[in-house]
Amino acid sequence: MRITQGCFSFLPDLTDQQITRQVQYCLENGWAVNIEFTDDPHPRNNFWEMWGLPMFDLRDAAGVLMELAECRKVYGDRYIRLSAFDSSHGWESVRLSFIVDRPKQEPGFRLDRHEVAGRNIRYTTTSYAADRPEGQRYGGS
Amino acid sequence: MSALSAVQGVSEMPPVEKVDLRREFNEVGIGEVLNQLDRELIGLRPVKTRIREIASLLLIERIRKRMNLTSDVPTLHMSFTGNPGTGKTTVALRIAGILHRLGFVRRGQVVSVTRDELVGQYIGHTAPKTKEILKKAMGGVLFIDEAYYLHRPDNERDYGQEAIEILLQVMESQREDLVVILAGYGDRMDKFFASNPGFRSRIAHHIDFPDYSDDDLLAIAELMLRDMNYKFSSDAREAFVRYIGLRKAQPMFSNARSIRNALDRMRLRQANRLVADLDRVLTADDVVSLEASDVLASRVFMKAIG
Amino acid sequence: MNDQSMTIRGKDRYKSGVMEYKKMGYWEPDYVPKDTDIIALFRVTPQEGVDPIEASAAVAGESSTATWTVVWTDRLTAAEKYRAKCYRVDPVPNSPGQYFAYIAYDLDLFENGSIANLSASIIGNVFGFKPLKALRLEDMRLPVAYVKTFQGPATGIVVERERMDKFGRPLLGATVKPKLGLSGRNYGRVVYEALKGGLDFTKDDENINSQPFMHWRERFLYCMEAVNKAQAASGEIKGTYLNVTAGTMEDMYKRAEFAKELGSIVIMIDLVIGYTAIQSMAKWARRNDMILHLHRAGHSTYTRQRNHGVSFRVIAKWMRLAGVDHIHAGTVVGKLEGDPATTRGYYDICREDFNRMQLEHGVFFDQNWASLNKLMPVASGGIHAGQMHQLLDHLGEDVILQFGGGTIGHPMGIQAGATANRVALEAMILARNEGRDFLQEGPEILAKAAQTCTPLKSALEVWKNVTFDYASTDMPDYAPTASVSM
Repeated sequence: MRITQGCFSFLPDLTDQQITRQVQYCLENGWAVNIEFTDDPHPRNNFWEMWGLPMFDLRDAAGVLMELAECRKVYGDRYIRLSAFDSSHGWESVRLSFIVDRPKQEPGFRLDRHEVAGRNIRYTTTSYAADRPEGQRYGGS
Repeated sequence: MSALSAVQGVSEMPPVEKVDLRREFNEVGIGEVLNQLDRELIGLRPVKTRIREIASLLLIERIRKRMNLTSDVPTLHMSFTGNPGTGKTTVALRIAGILHRLGFVRRGQVVSVTRDELVGQYIGHTAPKTKEILKKAMGGVLFIDEAYYLHRPDNERDYGQEAIEILLQVMESQREDLVVILAGYGDRMDKFFASNPGFRSRIAHHIDFPDYSDDDLLAIAELMLRDMNYKFSSDAREAFVRYIGLRKAQPMFSNARSIRNALDRMRLRQANRLVADLDRVLTADDVVSLEASDVLASRVFMKAIG
Repeated sequence: MNDQSMTIRGKDRYKSGVMEYKKMGYWEPDYVPKDTDIIALFRVTPQEGVDPIEASAAVAGESSTATWTVVWTDRLTAAEKYRAKCYRVDPVPNSPGQYFAYIAYDLDLFENGSIANLSASIIGNVFGFKPLKALRLEDMRLPVAYVKTFQGPATGIVVERERMDKFGRPLLGATVKPKLGLSGRNYGRVVYEALKGGLDFTKDDENINSQPFMHWRERFLYCMEAVNKAQAASGEIKGTYLNVTAGTMEDMYKRAEFAKELGSIVIMIDLVIGYTAIQSMAKWARRNDMILHLHRAGHSTYTRQRNHGVSFRVIAKWMRLAGVDHIHAGTVVGKLEGDPATTRGYYDICREDFNRMQLEHGVFFDQNWASLNKLMPVASGGIHAGQMHQLLDHLGEDVILQFGGGTIGHPMGIQAGATANRVALEAMILARNEGRDFLQEGPEILAKAAQTCTPLKSALEVWKNVTFDYASTDMPDYAPTASVSM
């Protein structure tokens, strides 16, 4: 399957050139760009691992793409996303977030149903990948 | 692997067969920057000439690109050699502007560092420090002052080598993302390049910044005074000419910076001279003028005498 | 017009008998409104022969302390404080016989945190007044002192996005169609298909409560099955607005609790439950971490005509105070009333922390919201994927775009309809961020995206000639070049 989290998941995977343009848009708006990765893509998993710190004060997307290249070398087998943070009053949160890398195989999620009283059901979503320990979830190794 | 490798705007234009040179020159607007360089910086004739030459080269390069005759990224890294206070930082800023207008540098900011910002104090500290600086400089110009301090072969706990390696790598493979300017004293830069030959091959333009002539230094002083709304009396000016001659011969002369320091001291003496007589009524002329005594009180004259 | 005060003061003021309102202290052209005053702007159409100043003073009087004759008991109170003061009357441009009346009310006239009280006070009495041919409450300025007594949106735009983990684009929804008649299980099917295909939300319609064809519990159960399935299939947070509107508050609480028990992230209410019920539900929503969607059912009965009623911008302000998280605010290009400039005014009122006065958008006052949460506007009604560039241009990024017919009516099915909308939106956002002139190049951008998305290609084909162009009944009075000083 294909997880459709993030802003551009319904489009074909972004090329580096497209990523650069999005990053430049964020920098021009004065937002700090952040790289995160994870192997647990559960929709309620808000806190992906951070690659370095959010990058403040950059003028050009090349700096971010440099870091992304480094991250891909190490964690290219997992989900990697870029997010842009706006610190201005009244927002103070993320403005844009999109996935830039995915594992080759995305096993997706299982929906567990626990029947309780009456016709009521308690639902739990679990990711198939998380059945295996961290670091062994996608591909080999 | 490097990021978007387009000369800003140019690769998105359709290829052309003919280019009106004057129009291209005007559109790009470097004429204004070059003239500003001529106006604002005193002396530095050989430097200004060299910069005009480089600007012409890059203008033609840009036109060749538009005609689809070339897709190479030219090497733009430079080294500036000369004594302190000869205008290296100022010229670096102007060069960044020119490169930006010609489209060889995407954003045009100048990040100015010395060794301490690039090198760490313990193992593993250097690479992230250097990379942080590089990221901020991407799209612009990285100006490294006294670059030779990166290399300290006698100190075994020195981590400068790591920074050097990272720089060399970036200077080679990300030429369209970043321009590096190394600066410092001439002879020390020569020694540095000798021990790190990788740099010399990556640098396209070596520019030497000669010391200012006595006339230049006087002109710089006049310009500084005018900006601060002061002036020399004619006696003071004569005294200052002598001051320059004597001061240059002394050690630790930093050209324009030393002139600035001297003027500050002269303003201090002027103030004290005026305040010594509280019963005076001061006119604008009084507070604007530096007199000969304000100049002659300097120690350089005493040394000469004694 | 705004020159002379005619107020009678002293003993003569309280002599028995009938006195003109403008002499009773309701017309005070020298009065400077305090920072803590609530200000209302009315559009007054006096009957023939009635002096506009007198009519405006009457509105001030009848919405505060007056009655049709002098009463001695007024003297038992600090009457001057409680009188509303009309301090300015201007003729409405290009509308002979209509006047803008600015009326200031002391803060003490109102109970803290009660929209019921605010509306009863301002519009409860005066609209049927005979000397007026027509009357419209056009706008209100609410002082920070008053704003701070309200909860405000239970969740707000920022936190909603954080909970959904969706940033950088409008959210997408669809109302389940047909409007009436489906049973719970089949209703759930529509929800599943739409969410699976790519929408973020689906929505109960305003009249779906609990009817013979579908009991509310059935709907909730099947909808949550659909939401969870779609969530697991996509890895995204999904929701459906479960309508908890009912005949009594007690029933509403029961329904809301059940929605919570089933794990829904959002519930919905209709405007017709009344202001008090809305505030209660907003409090409940905040206590229970629930997003609260408001359908503005019934508003057009009083918001649509320019000369009489209450402007929707006032309703939007009241609803932001009351504490709903979503409010339908117009689409501009869809099937329902709303011209671009006025709609822009509504959206700004919902989304900004400080609204600057902008007469060409119908925003008559600077309004400081004192960091009250932002209210997410919803655009719903007759819009489709082919309009994505216009929607993004008119409405911006912090909005929910609802494509009911535009999803369910897709020739290839509901999932395809949802996918078409999602792909169109993402492609448009991508292009906008790259700096393209997406308004001009919109059709091109959509066509390009359609090359790799058959559902979108089909949607563009089917609806390519659909637009809704009728003359608006409620356009702004001021063109962009006018400037009026306060």
